[in-house]
Amino acid sequence: MTDMPGRCLPPLDSPEVRLLHRRMKRRSRRGRLWTYAGAVVIALWILIPLLFLTSMAFTTRETVRSYPKNVLPFIPFSTDTVRFFLDQPGVLDGLRNSLIVAAITLLLSTVLAAPAGYAIARYIFPGRDVVRLGILAVRAFPIVVLSIPLAVLFLRAGIFDSVWSLALMHTALAMPTSVLIIASVFASVPHELEEAGQVFGASALQSFWHIVLPLALPGIAASSVFAFVLSWNEVFAAGVLTLENRTLPALLLVQLQLSSDAYQFAGGFFLMAPSMVFMFFIRNYLFNLWGQVTK
Amino acid sequence: MLVAPVLIFLGLFFAYPMYEGLRLAFWDDDAVLPLREGPSLDASESGRLPQGAAVEVLGRQGNLLADAEATDLLTETWYRVAIHRPDGSSVQGWAPESRVRVREESADGTPLTATIRPKLGDRQDPRTILRDSPGEAAAQIALAEPRAAAAVVEAAILEVWFHVRGADVADADQGWAPSRFIQVFGDEVSGRIDRGSAGEFTTEFIRKMFDDRFFGPAWRTTLLLLALIIPAQFVLALLMALVIHARIKLNSWFLYVFTIPMGMSDLAVGTLFFSIFTGNGLLNSVLEGLGIIDSPHVFLSSQTRNWIIFAIVVAEIWRSTSIVMVILVSGLQAIPDENLEAAELFGASYWQRVRHVMLPLLKPSIQVALILRTILALQVFAVVIALGGGDTVTVLTNETFRQYFDFRNNNVAAAYALFVMVLSLASAFFYLRSMRTDPEIRR
Repeated sequence: MTDMPGRCLPPLDSPEVRLLHRRMKRRSRRGRLWTYAGAVVIALWILIPLLFLTSMAFTTRETVRSYPKNVLPFIPFSTDTVRFFLDQPGVLDGLRNSLIVAAITLLLSTVLAAPAGYAIARYIFPGRDVVRLGILAVRAFPIVVLSIPLAVLFLRAGIFDSVWSLALMHTALAMPTSVLIIASVFASVPHELEEAGQVFGASALQSFWHIVLPLALPGIAASSVFAFVLSWNEVFAAGVLTLENRTLPALLLVQLQLSSDAYQFAGGFFLMAPSMVFMFFIRNYLFNLWGQVTK
Repeated sequence: MLVAPVLIFLGLFFAYPMYEGLRLAFWDDDAVLPLREGPSLDASESGRLPQGAAVEVLGRQGNLLADAEATDLLTETWYRVAIHRPDGSSVQGWAPESRVRVREESADGTPLTATIRPKLGDRQDPRTILRDSPGEAAAQIALAEPRAAAAVVEAAILEVWFHVRGADVADADQGWAPSRFIQVFGDEVSGRIDRGSAGEFTTEFIRKMFDDRFFGPAWRTTLLLLALIIPAQFVLALLMALVIHARIKLNSWFLYVFTIPMGMSDLAVGTLFFSIFTGNGLLNSVLEGLGIIDSPHVFLSSQTRNWIIFAIVVAEIWRSTSIVMVILVSGLQAIPDENLEAAELFGASYWQRVRHVMLPLLKPSIQVALILRTILALQVFAVVIALGGGDTVTVLTNETFRQYFDFRNNNVAAAYALFVMVLSLASAFFYLRSMRTDPEIRR
């Protein structure tokens, strides 16, 4: 603090200022080094478990059983464990059910959320904040609270244990976030572009279709990917709402305690594989979403 | 108008289940059985008996069945018979199956002809009463001679109603109720109310939840996990957010790696950390490779509760720190660069800037993240199952699942779910009150 120049600044080329500059530069270089070190350590903390489980899924079953394990992964490389897992009863059906439920959720939530997101972003209608707050509140709502009554309702309505009813539930879970992502995407498309289109003689619908939609499409795709991942991952509601038509997470949840290490590891790999791919595409939209909420 | 479908959908899948959940937890559908003055749903109510009450059976009588799909009921069949008397006249009327012996049936089982049974015992009138409609209460129109041949015109199924009186208490209510609600014991004169037909507000399920022997461990473990996970996770999340915010080279790649866990289900993360903590897993292999232990340590067994909790905490921090980081980064992006530059110019070190500039400005983001994470931590489920099996270490959601899935007790499961919800609301309220953001800071 001794080098603080006080209230009135000295001339820019004075020795004090040059000293200050040099100090700041040195400090920032050291800070940069620390940042890199931190980034690498945190990345390793996240990647090592992933790498280990993936290598366990792609090796022989003997290696999975062996101890102590080779810390270097993928030795020997083999699809033995994965094939063993896929041959287990119910696994292929579970995979298929999971895919169907996730696909329905993706379609439904996008089709329903896109117009709502557009409305929230473009038109200022009474209760806009209420809608946004409500949507956020729903996001934090316990799935547990919903699943049990819904299971009872679905049983009564005779649509229990079907991929459709589970997809409806997942759509409800994904919708608030989908609406928020899509709203933030539409909000980032400048309104002037749309107006310019209308000045040049396009109808409101035409300018939406030819100008706004192409610009918003990547964001809408990101929100559908999000809905897909959410549905693929969802365990509790899937466990409660299905019995015969189990999705993969629900099947694994029930089988977990009764199965071998190889089964568990390969199952875990199948559960996490989609997210590893999809997070790559949607990572930048995450800030759109949460930036909106914290505003 | 464009928002309407979303609102309808959310109402359908959030508001309605919520209402239904409250009903399951606080409303006992089978609590009481209203009794009627006479054996008919139209008769006025004469009293009520609670489910399970012992009753005396005073009488029985058939009544037209209101819905054919009901189960657990006692029925009797009445036949409309046409009898040609020897003197040439003919008469038609209803008689119960106990008085009619079917002689001939059509191919599909419909009775065609019958004879009237003789009544045994000599003090009784041997003739059978024919009535103008099914049921003992109907008016008598004729008497049929025993063994008279009859044509069966039609048949009707009646539900038996019992005339009951509460047995254990003096002055108990009495009245008529359909057989489906009453279980009659072998002696034909005593029985109990099997279930009621009218609901009643009850705290029974809530009390059952509190008395459940897993309830105490479940909520204590849930709160313990909350207290262990959240502080550690916020420190880590802040570090991650600062790294991302520093915009170093390969920033986009680091962001991708940091957000991978966000897209993973808790079950996947549970198996992931099972593969690390299990007996022949990664941790033991590494520890033995480093020479710290010479035989595999058992981390996940019913004798090592603390290790299981440790594993759950590590797994949850690994999984759910990403979302906190994302929220904090979007908060950091909203901080104007001038604020930080000004602080730097006045000689504040990096940590001083973090402590005195960034953290206060991040307060709204931290608040949102805290609320979200606390609510999600109260719902921790599959990680616990995957790492601890759900017996040694149990949490509230696990008990909800167990009540629903293993014990088939929807009401108590709903009570557990409601308890989770109340905790969530209370925590959100607590954070909102205790971290009121200054409007000056919020800009």
